[in-house]
Amino acid sequence: MEVQSAVKDKVEQDKAMALKEETAKTAANTAAKTVKMSGKDVCVYYGEKQALFDVNLDILENSVTSLIGPSGCGKSTFLRCLNRMNDVIDICRVTGEITLEGDDIYDPSLDVVELRARVGMVFQKPNPFPKSIYDNVAYGPRIHGITADRTELDELVESSLQKAGLWNEVKDRVAESGTGLSGGQQQRLCIARAIATKPDVILMDEPCSALDPIATATIEELIDELRANYTIVIVTHSMQQAARVSQRTAFFHLGKIIEEGETTQIFTNPQDEKTQDYITGRFG
Amino acid sequence: MQLLTDFFSGLLGLIISPLGVILLLSALAYYFALKKSSGFYAEHGREVHSLPFYNASYVALSIFLPAAVFLLIFSIVAPMVYQSMVETTYQNHLQSLTDFQQSNFINNVFALTTGNITSKSSEMITEASQYLTSLMNVGQYVRWFGTIGFAAIFGFLAYRAVNPRLRARNRVEIIIKTLLIICSIIAILTTIGIVLSLVFESLRFFQKVPITEFLFGMHWSPQTSIRPGQVSAEGSFAALPLIAGTMLITFIAMLVAGPIGLMSAIYLSDYASPKFRSIAKPVLEILAGIPTVVYGFFAALTVAPLIRGWGESIGLSVSSESALAAGLVMGIMIIPLVSSLSDDVINSVPQAMRDGSYGLGATKSETIRQVVLPAALPGIVSAMLLAVSRAIGETMIVVMAAGLAANLTINPLEAVTTVTVQIVTLLVGDQEFDSAKTLAAFALGLLLFVITLTLNVIALRVVQKYREQYE
Amino acid sequence: MSTEHIVTSYEDELASLDNKIAQMGGLTEHLIADAFDALSKRDAELAVKVISDDDKIDQFELDIEEQAIAMIARRQPMALDLRQIMVAIKITSDLERIGDLGKNMAKRVLSIHSERHPAQLMHGMRSMQELALGQLKDVLDSYAERNTNKALAVWRGDEEIDAIYNSLFRELLTYMMEDPRNIGLCTHLLFCAKNLERIGDHTTNIAENVHYLVLGNPIQEERPKGDKTSQMLVNHDDQD
Repeated sequence: MEVQSAVKDKVEQDKAMALKEETAKTAANTAAKTVKMSGKDVCVYYGEKQALFDVNLDILENSVTSLIGPSGCGKSTFLRCLNRMNDVIDICRVTGEITLEGDDIYDPSLDVVELRARVGMVFQKPNPFPKSIYDNVAYGPRIHGITADRTELDELVESSLQKAGLWNEVKDRVAESGTGLSGGQQQRLCIARAIATKPDVILMDEPCSALDPIATATIEELIDELRANYTIVIVTHSMQQAARVSQRTAFFHLGKIIEEGETTQIFTNPQDEKTQDYITGRFG
Repeated sequence: MQLLTDFFSGLLGLIISPLGVILLLSALAYYFALKKSSGFYAEHGREVHSLPFYNASYVALSIFLPAAVFLLIFSIVAPMVYQSMVETTYQNHLQSLTDFQQSNFINNVFALTTGNITSKSSEMITEASQYLTSLMNVGQYVRWFGTIGFAAIFGFLAYRAVNPRLRARNRVEIIIKTLLIICSIIAILTTIGIVLSLVFESLRFFQKVPITEFLFGMHWSPQTSIRPGQVSAEGSFAALPLIAGTMLITFIAMLVAGPIGLMSAIYLSDYASPKFRSIAKPVLEILAGIPTVVYGFFAALTVAPLIRGWGESIGLSVSSESALAAGLVMGIMIIPLVSSLSDDVINSVPQAMRDGSYGLGATKSETIRQVVLPAALPGIVSAMLLAVSRAIGETMIVVMAAGLAANLTINPLEAVTTVTVQIVTLLVGDQEFDSAKTLAAFALGLLLFVITLTLNVIALRVVQKYREQYE
Repeated sequence: MSTEHIVTSYEDELASLDNKIAQMGGLTEHLIADAFDALSKRDAELAVKVISDDDKIDQFELDIEEQAIAMIARRQPMALDLRQIMVAIKITSDLERIGDLGKNMAKRVLSIHSERHPAQLMHGMRSMQELALGQLKDVLDSYAERNTNKALAVWRGDEEIDAIYNSLFRELLTYMMEDPRNIGLCTHLLFCAKNLERIGDHTTNIAENVHYLVLGNPIQEERPKGDKTSQMLVNHDDQD
C-alpha cells in the first residue's frame, strides 16, 4: 500500500508541475503580445453605403493577424483604415477609434504621412515604381529623410533588401528597373520598399494573389521571418494561407467581425456557425 | 410639290439605271437564296455547313460584286474607247489640225453630244457628234447587257451552288476580308500618291533653284518675272527665315501651352473633385472646338494691339504684327490638346502605382513628381511633340497676327512669317503652274512634311522605348 | 451543419466516410458477438469464421485511411471537416484494435474448446461481454448521431466494465488456486476478460473522439478508472 501511495503522490506532483508550467507559458505569451493597434467600434461609410459595422479588433505586436472573409466583407476596407489609405477616396468616412500604441490615428493633429511611414502597406498586385530597384527601396527613406547621407542610404537599401530575402538575387543589378523582376521578386521588392521606411506595422492586402505557389511560399516564409521584428496584418482570400502564416485570425462577414481568435482555434474549432460554414466551404 | 416629283423621278432614275437593277437583283436573289437554304436548314439543322444568312449573303454578293466591278470598269474604259474610235474615224481630218485644235475638236464633239456648251461648231463636228451618238447607243446596250449578264451568270452559279455542304460562311468571310484589304490599300496608296507628287514637284523646283540655296540661303523673297528680263525679277527662295519664324512661334506657343496644359492635366486628373472635373473637361474640349480663324482675329485685333501698347508703355518698339501675339494665341489654342492628351496619359498610370507611393507616406505632389510623371513621361513627351506638330502646321493665326515679313530674327516682338503662311501666299492669286514661285510651295510643303514626320517618328520612338514598363 | 458544402463531391465523400465507419462498426459488433458466442459454446467452427472475418475489418481500416488521406491532400479540410476526417482515422484504428481483440478471443477458443466448462465463470464473462457490446453499439450510435451526451454516457459507463473485470479477475484467481488444473483454461479466460476490458477502453477512446468531433475540445473531466487489477496481489494470507 505504501508503494501505491508513493506512486499516487508522484503522479500528483507531476500534474501540479505541468499545471504550473502551463500557466507560466500562457503568462509569458500574453506578456510578450502587447496590443499594437486596436480598432474600437469602427464604422466606415462609402457615401450612403455603410461598409463596416462596429468593428472591434486588437492587433497584437510581433504577430501575424490575418483577416479573412468573402469578397466585399470589409476586410480590405478595415485594413486600409489602419493606415488611412481610405483618405484617398473622397466619399469615404470613418467613425470610431483606431489606435496605434494608444494614439488615435484619426486625430486631426496626427500627420497622415508620418502614420504611413509607421504603418507600411504591401498591395495585391506587385506595384514597383518604374524606377531602378535601388530607387524603389530608397523612395520611402528619401521622402522621410530617414538617412543622413549616401552611405547610410546604401546600407539601408541593402539591409531592407536582405530582410526581404531579395538581396542575393538582385545585388548585382540594383540599378536595373524594378519592373523587370519576376512577379514574386517584385512583391518582395515592394515588401523591401515598405521595410525601408522602418515601419512598426506592415499591412498586406492579398500579397500573394497574383503569384505562383513557389513565389507564394517564399513570401510566406518571409512573412514568418518578419514577424520577429514587425507587426503584420494580412488580408487573404486563401484560408490555407491564413492558416499557414498567421497567429491570429479575424473572420469578416457583411462588414462585421463574426469571430476573432487564435488561428489554430479558428481553423480547427470555430465557435460561430458562419465562420465554420465559410472556412469549410459551405457558404451560400 | 416640285421637290417631291424631283425626288421620285430621281429615285426612278436610280432604279432603272444598271446599278439600281443589280441592287434589286441582289435583293431578290438574297430573298430566294434565304428561302432555299432555310428550307434545307429546317430539315437538316446542324448538319448544314452555313446558316441561311450566309448562303443568302453569298448569292447576293455574287450578283452584286461582279456586276458592280463590270460597271466601274465600263465607265472608265468606255469614254476612252469612244474617243479612240472617233479619232480613228476622223483620222484624215485631224491630221490637218494642230495639237491644240485636235483636242479642241474632240472636246467639242463630246460637248455637243452630251448637250453641253460648245466653243464652236462646224459640219465636221456635227457629223462626228452623230457618229458618237450612235457609238454611245451601242455602248449603252453593252452596259445593260453586260451588267445584267454578269449578274445573271454569277447569280445563277451561286444560287445553284447553294446546298447544305456549301461553305458559304467561309466564302463570305473571305469576301469581307478582301473588301477591307482593298479599302486600306486605297488609303495607303493615296498617302503615297500625295507624298510622291510633293517630291516630284519639289524636284522640278530644285531644277530652277538649287537645293543648297533653298536650305541654307538667308533671304526669302519669292518674286519671279512675268516677262523675261523684267527688272525686279531676281527672287530668292531660302527657307531659313521661314523655318526660323516657324520655330520662334512654335517655341512661344509651347512655352504657353506646355506648362499650362500639363499642369491643368495634373490638376484635373489628381486634384480636382469629380464634380469640377466633369465641368472643366468639357469646357476645355469646347476650347479645342473653336475654329482657328476665330483665334486668328482674336490674336490680330485684341492681343497684338495689347502687346504693342504694353511694349510701348515700357519703351519697347513692338511691331503691330508680332511673333509674340501669334505665339501666345496659338499656345492658348493648343492648351486643350496638350491638357487632354496628358490627362489621358496621366490617368492611365495605374492607381496601384499611386497607392504604392501613398502607402509609403508620400504626399500628393511627391507622388506626382516622383512616380506619376516619370511613369507617364513617354506619353507626355509624345503629347508635346504632337502639339508641336500642330503648332508648326497652324496657318490661320499666323497669317492674321504675325504678318508676312520673312525676317530672320529671334526677337519675338518683330513680325515674322512661317512656312505654312508662305505656302498660302504663294498659291493665292493667278500663277503660272510651272513658275518657281508656285513650285516653291511644293518644296516648302515637302520641308514641312519632313519636319513633322521627323517629330512624329521621334515621338513614336520615345513612346516605344519607355512604353508602360509597369505591366 | 446548417448548410451543405458548395462542392457536392466533397459532401459525398464525407458522407461515404461516415457510411464506411458505420459498416465497419457493425462488422466489429458482429465479430465481438460471434467471438463470445464461440467462447461460450466452445464452437471451433464459429471461431475460425471470426478469425477470417477480422480480415474484412482490417480491409475497412485500410480503405478508410486511404480515403481520409486522399481527402486531406485534395480538399485541405478545415474545422469540422478536418475534425471529422482525423476522428475517422482514429475511430477506425480503435475499431480495428477491437476487431483484433475479438480475433484473439476466437483464437483462444480454438485452444480451449475441448476443456471443461465452469458455468458461473461464463456467467460473469457474459455480463461483461453484454456490457462491452452495448457500449460499443452506443458509441457507434453517438458517432452516427453526433450525440455528445450519449458519448459521455459511454465514457462514464466504462467504469462498470472495469468493476466486473476486477471481480472476474479475483474469481479466476480463486479458481486457479483451488485447482492448478484450471490454470490453463483460466489463463485463457483471464485474457479473454482482459480483451473485453480493452474493448471497453477502445470504446471510451471512440467516445472521446466523438466528443472532440462535435465540440472541438477534449472531455474536460477526469475519467473514472475502475481497473485496479494492476495493484492486486495474490494474498496467500487471505486463504487462511
